[in-house]
Amino acid sequence: MTKILLNGREVEADPTKPLIHACHTAGAEVPAYCYHPGLTPVGSCRICQVEVKQGNAPARIVVACRTLVVEGMIVETESPAAREVRRECLEFLLKNHPLDCPICDKAGECDLQDYAFAEGQGEGRSNEPRRRLDKRKSLGDVIVLDEERCVLCSRCVRFMEEVPKTPQLTVGGLGSRSVIETFMDRPLSGNYQGNLADVCPVGALTLKPFRFQARVWNLKKTASTCGECSRGCATTVEVLRAGEVKRVRPRYDADVNTWWMCDTGRFAFPALNVADRIPGGLVRRSDGWVRADAADTAAAAARLLGIERPAFVAVTPWVTQEEGAAILALAREWKLPAYMVSPAPNGLADDLLHTGDPAPNRFGLEQLGFARKSPAEIIAHLHQSSAAWLVGERMTALIGAAALEALPAHKRIALFDVLPIPFAALEVFASVPLYAERSGTWLNVDGIPRALLMARALPAGMPSLERMIGLVAAARAVAVAPGPVAPSSVAKR
Amino acid sequence: MSRPTYLLDRIGPDSHTLAAYQKRGGYAALRTALKGKTPAEVVDVVKASGLRGRGGAGFPTGMKWSFMPDPAKDKRPRYLAINADESEPGTCKDRVLMERDPHGVIEGVLLACYAIRATTAYIYVRGEYRLSYDRLQAALDEARAAGLLGRKIQGSDFSCDIWMHKGAGAYICGEETGLMESLEGKRGHPRPKPPFPAMFGLWGQPTTVNNVETVFNVPFILERGADWFRSMGTKASSGNLLVGVSGHVNKPGVYEVPFGVSCLELVDGYAGGVWKGRKLKAWFPGGSSTGMLPGSAIDVPMEHDAIKNAGSMLGTAALIALDERACTVRAMEVVARFYDHESCGQCSQCREGTQWLSQIFHRIESGRGRMEDIEMLATLSKSMAPGKTICALSDAAAIPTLAVVKHFKDELEQHVLEQRCPLADPHAAKRPAALAHSH
Repeated sequence: MTKILLNGREVEADPTKPLIHACHTAGAEVPAYCYHPGLTPVGSCRICQVEVKQGNAPARIVVACRTLVVEGMIVETESPAAREVRRECLEFLLKNHPLDCPICDKAGECDLQDYAFAEGQGEGRSNEPRRRLDKRKSLGDVIVLDEERCVLCSRCVRFMEEVPKTPQLTVGGLGSRSVIETFMDRPLSGNYQGNLADVCPVGALTLKPFRFQARVWNLKKTASTCGECSRGCATTVEVLRAGEVKRVRPRYDADVNTWWMCDTGRFAFPALNVADRIPGGLVRRSDGWVRADAADTAAAAARLLGIERPAFVAVTPWVTQEEGAAILALAREWKLPAYMVSPAPNGLADDLLHTGDPAPNRFGLEQLGFARKSPAEIIAHLHQSSAAWLVGERMTALIGAAALEALPAHKRIALFDVLPIPFAALEVFASVPLYAERSGTWLNVDGIPRALLMARALPAGMPSLERMIGLVAAARAVAVAPGPVAPSSVAKR
Repeated sequence: MSRPTYLLDRIGPDSHTLAAYQKRGGYAALRTALKGKTPAEVVDVVKASGLRGRGGAGFPTGMKWSFMPDPAKDKRPRYLAINADESEPGTCKDRVLMERDPHGVIEGVLLACYAIRATTAYIYVRGEYRLSYDRLQAALDEARAAGLLGRKIQGSDFSCDIWMHKGAGAYICGEETGLMESLEGKRGHPRPKPPFPAMFGLWGQPTTVNNVETVFNVPFILERGADWFRSMGTKASSGNLLVGVSGHVNKPGVYEVPFGVSCLELVDGYAGGVWKGRKLKAWFPGGSSTGMLPGSAIDVPMEHDAIKNAGSMLGTAALIALDERACTVRAMEVVARFYDHESCGQCSQCREGTQWLSQIFHRIESGRGRMEDIEMLATLSKSMAPGKTICALSDAAAIPTLAVVKHFKDELEQHVLEQRCPLADPHAAKRPAALAHSH
């Protein structure tokens, strides 16, 4: 580590990183447009100019993203000279900027807006006509480009070259006529296009699925983990007014995904916005399925699993370690085998993030002691058993609705999934919250713990999965305990 | 005008052929050096001669060569790139050498390669210079056939190849790092420095970039000695240089003069005076990127420091003369539009600033100027330069703007007050507008 004097304070700086990294690490707010910590610095936007003094040389203005840290360097980010050159630079950046913040999806999280608001003059000196360019140029299925808003920082160009290593973007034209383009206007391809909207410091590259969906300051952001593969990329789940998930974005995690995530994970969020959920569950009566509250649903499941044999328990790999341990404890009480339904590789594996294994907690559940079974093996077990407890979101999808419907009516299945499907063998159905609505831990492909936090409150009357399993355990205890206890008093515990 | 000359002496009918070149003693310096001088000795002679680069910056050539890493310690391949992308408005000196004396250029390139121990050189020729390209290519073919190029040149251990590269019309590719990017097949975006080309140049390898006229001087220096070279020119800038005189003069052209000759003599003597018997109103000393000076300040020695003291720069020694009927605002409108057109667009100040300056000059010249525009021109220019951007193109637009505000403020004000160009020829064709930006 190298010691530098930053704004009068001695700080440690990583000599392998540019000066701007040291500034940001130490909390000095130096603006940046072309600089991104995950990309090669090019020093072109010039907004990160700071004042640097070394030895007896006179103080000079440098771009912090292209300056190496040297022992004893004296850095002033807020000196009058540094502020003045940044003000000049900002004036140039705003010269042709359309200032259409009121209709820009980036507004509220735009680096240019933030800095202009903090430092700008408030009034422009230019009376010249602004650049008129394409306001909505499609760059494929994911990204739309607003050429007028672009500040030509080239982060997007470098991202495509350096991260997925599929160069597809370039700067075309010269000078103030420059625009970002693809070769022969071909649409972008690849599984990492969504990151372009994140690296864009302004509202030039925006996500088609997020276009005009929400003002970002109305989004509640919760740290979570992507559930689309066993990498478990750190994410932020963004929910609009306690309702729909509007956007999922990567969250920096040095050990797993750094700044990026794939489009498969990013655009899986519509599945988190399911309607028509049943808060408690369904229990079969002589005249069909009737709605029941969580306690009664749990009691029905416990009754069934306490009696019927042969039987087994199976979970999906979206079940957390905490939930899995509770289920496994119950399975052992009942002396039932515990399986994990193991989805097949989905062919999306790449060299960057996607593992191709759609099971986010495979590693953890197998470590707990769940035996890996393919969907076909689970179906075979279903046919050989008289009962089963199937727990976890996507259970129906993994096994297949057709396979469940084909089960003979004398089988007795307790299905804990997000949405019910009617089939002859269904005895008990309990609603399970989605992973974005639960808290807990997954272990990713490398065994690294991945945290889930509840990004949205559960529908009224729906307990968490851990609570639901607790209700089943309580009902089992009552069933084996001497003396009658009313199910309703269990529910109040 | 009995000053010693050497640069253009060989030029005559068929002077571009190998036969004519060798008849005048061509390639003797190369043969002598290969037999009797180590590369380090060549560098030393050039250092002692005081030769400064002729591409605009005037950096000492021998010192630039010595920045190349020690080949004993750094085994990477190394390159020489010759900047023949002569595109500064007003500059046309290298063209004469390439068209009329291409073997002189090649001999200079080979000697420079020998000095820096490069075995490959690229000559990056401005795309519009078709004859230069063809003559150089023909000369390379002749030299190769004669064993002056390729493997084991003239029986020595020195092997060297020279490749031609044609530019595609972008001014920015004449900036040395933009040139290297272009040679690599990329967009000609100048690179941030450091790292400098001597450590990280073409394809990341040690590279020296020299101007055509610079290396053209080298064979003469080796043949006739550093003292001979220092006997011409001034103490700080030795030797002769080629000056392109253009604009409102009777005999525009490329002239060979020693450093330090008065610009007055260049205009009135060499170039035959201002045309049509008019007076000199303004002049650019070294191409459009050097600040304009008033005609009254013409008696300045053509030499780096003197012109700097006068408030401008020697640049590529391309003197552009404007007569008393010329409009300096109109001239700057053209210059500003050129830099707006040629900015590579990387740096914010340059991309937006060159356009802004161009728009303001266009408005003033078109009779739509405002008094505050004049102050804006000055403050914008100060925001664009010096040294605020990756390369000097931003400076190239800002410096002449500051100069016109300094020396010709009255004329700018007159444009604004009268809301027209007081010097416009009413019969002239309509000017092109500022660059259009809509699709």
